Amino acid sequence: MYDFSLLPDDTVLTLGVALVLFAVAFIFFVIVAIYTLIATTAYSKKHKDKLKLICDVAYFHERGKRDNQEDSIYISPIEKVEESGLIAACSDGMGGLLNGEVVSKYVTDSLSENYPYKFDAQNENAKIISDISNKVYEEYHLGAGATLVMVHIFDDYMNFYSLGDSNIILIRNNRATLLNYKQNYITLMIKKFAEGGIDTVDAYRDTRAKGLVDFVGNLNCNVLKTAKPIRLIENDIIIVSSDGVTDSIPLNRLVNHIHFDQNATGIARAIKYGVKTRRNPRQDNYSAVVIKMNRSFV
Amino acid sequence: MIEYYTFKHRGDSLEYLDEVYLTLVPSITVAMFYGSKVKEGARSQALLFSELLNSEESANSIADLDSYMEEYLDETSEYLLLRSVNNGIECFRRGDICAKIVRNGQISILPNGYFGLSHEDRIICATSNFYKYLTDEGILADALVADSCSDWMNMLIRRISDQNQLKCGNLSAVTLKLDT
Repeated sequence: MYDFSLLPDDTVLTLGVALVLFAVAFIFFVIVAIYTLIATTAYSKKHKDKLKLICDVAYFHERGKRDNQEDSIYISPIEKVEESGLIAACSDGMGGLLNGEVVSKYVTDSLSENYPYKFDAQNENAKIISDISNKVYEEYHLGAGATLVMVHIFDDYMNFYSLGDSNIILIRNNRATLLNYKQNYITLMIKKFAEGGIDTVDAYRDTRAKGLVDFVGNLNCNVLKTAKPIRLIENDIIIVSSDGVTDSIPLNRLVNHIHFDQNATGIARAIKYGVKTRRNPRQDNYSAVVIKMNRSFV
Repeated sequence: MIEYYTFKHRGDSLEYLDEVYLTLVPSITVAMFYGSKVKEGARSQALLFSELLNSEESANSIADLDSYMEEYLDETSEYLLLRSVNNGIECFRRGDICAKIVRNGQISILPNGYFGLSHEDRIICATSNFYKYLTDEGILADALVADSCSDWMNMLIRRISDQNQLKCGNLSAVTLKLDT
């Protein structure tokens, strides 16, 4: 041990003061360090919550070579996205039947009237669509009909609903995937052929192949719906469209028309002109809602 | 409750060289052999696979069975072993053949080893030739829309058929739903 009694009194005093100052400085340092750690964690947590996926939305609605515009689209109010999510829908009046434009407009108007929709009530929402279909049936008795595709996006999740053969396309990692299967006769034939262990070439040759087995206007229709939502990620592009788009630009070529740094408006414009420049003499009406998911501060 | 659907299709090949085994007792076990990739003696490798599966080793842990498979099967043989254990599944695989799980709106490959399951998880086991014509997003969307495992499989077959009319070599897959 040290014998401080040998030191002069003023030196001992100086050492004591230095020791006290060091202790105070150390305690102060610990307090500041702990405070900074807490503050940083709280700050990043707070801002992580704010970094939500937001929807950038655009659309096009073109007539093609038909006399009437038989497509109709619906986009829910953008200012209500935070509380009720985003609904985007496209309905395509069935070719060959009367009043296609009336039915498709009726479908999107009815969707608008029923807004807002509960996100986790898929069965309830499907019932609303089924009721719309029943009303069309009561009016036209299969004399008119339409397809319907609808997405419901809430935060990072998406539910979808489909009747008929319109498209819900997800573009992720430079690949386009059709999410909803087409409710046409060919689906039934493929099932039969595959179970029989043979190829399905003849199914595609069948003249009835593209005939719809379900649509809006059918009685007690079977609405295709997600039982649980799909998780969306940043830069996902969702296209809700009539088949006029994919008739001219096949799914595997869709990504060639867009750039991934484009916003929704740019993507919608690129697809629209992509269809237009095909100059298809039998171009059907072509309409789409384009949604790009961006990660951003709200 | 266990729900499953098995799909085996020769495609445009002369014969079906894959093998799919599914047993429910004492616990559900899926064993899949991808013979199309074996250059010579695919049939004999498939028989050996079947024999090992029916041997006493298969009653033991699936990890032991995997080590036997590793030892006896040809290097080019690809296989997948999957067995439900308690509230999860054990999975072992060799090659590109794999199982994918759909959970919380996402799809991912099942890793080798034990994996806990939760309610409403769905699993697909398939050969690489089956996956080749599908995207993860397509498999996921169909799983979330389908009412049953057979529905899910039929939707996937439709996707493959749209690209090649099922003229694409052997196709083998199992869709599963294990309620834990």
